[in-house]
Amino acid sequence: MTDVREDILARLVVVVGTIPGLRSSHRNNVDITEEMLPAAIVFDGDETTVAGNDGSRPSNRPLLVEMTPEIVIAEQSGEVGSDLTTLRRELIKRVLLDTELNARTGSNGKISYVSCQTDVGWMRSLHGALRAQFMFKYTLKPDDL
Amino acid sequence: MIDYSALLYDPVYAEIGVPATMDGTAITVIDDTRPKVLAAGSAEVRSVGPGAFVRIPELEANEITRDDWPDALLAFNGRSWLVRSWELRGSPNGEDFGEVRFLLKAVDD
Repeated sequence: MTDVREDILARLVVVVGTIPGLRSSHRNNVDITEEMLPAAIVFDGDETTVAGNDGSRPSNRPLLVEMTPEIVIAEQSGEVGSDLTTLRRELIKRVLLDTELNARTGSNGKISYVSCQTDVGWMRSLHGALRAQFMFKYTLKPDDL
Repeated sequence: MIDYSALLYDPVYAEIGVPATMDGTAITVIDDTRPKVLAAGSAEVRSVGPGAFVRIPELEANEITRDDWPDALLAFNGRSWLVRSWELRGSPNGEDFGEVRFLLKAVDD
């Protein structure tokens, strides 16, 4: 059994966990306390088939798909803007250049950085969160699932 | 007209107020540190929003003016904070006889 989607998501958690300065990393954890900050959370992404896959038989033929997981980095400090900028830089670099992630996407796949958004607010200190989206394109082989 | 300072605020502060210092001057505050949750994408981050109520007449009696409020060091209940903003809470006797709720931040910021 080979599930490329799960392999990529599991690897993503490992990759974001190597970002310097993080106190914790999670997958799909929606309940974060300030003691865990700075934290990175990988959220499982939507998956869609790439146009051009439709129509032909058999139904178990390989399909090109795109998955768009979201990675949230949350921090609380007086310099939260600069901190998030640094963490974003490390995140993008590590995801796009990771050898294992690139190997999982295969010869006709790819990894792309899509976008990021930020939120700020006051708590004990200034709180900031950065949400980054990546696109992973890979071949889904029903026979391997 | 009812004197709200004498009949309402003073007894309340006498009961639940705690000793504090604002830039070294002794005052009385009501600790209003509250739980706070902010969104981080699909996640929620839980912390506290530190705050404190103070009577405007007490500040004026101690010659602490509004110009002194920004970044003032407010110490109470074993912790020290900096004033980052505030909300005025007027009273039926007027704004100058009401309270201010100081919105605080950690000193190490």
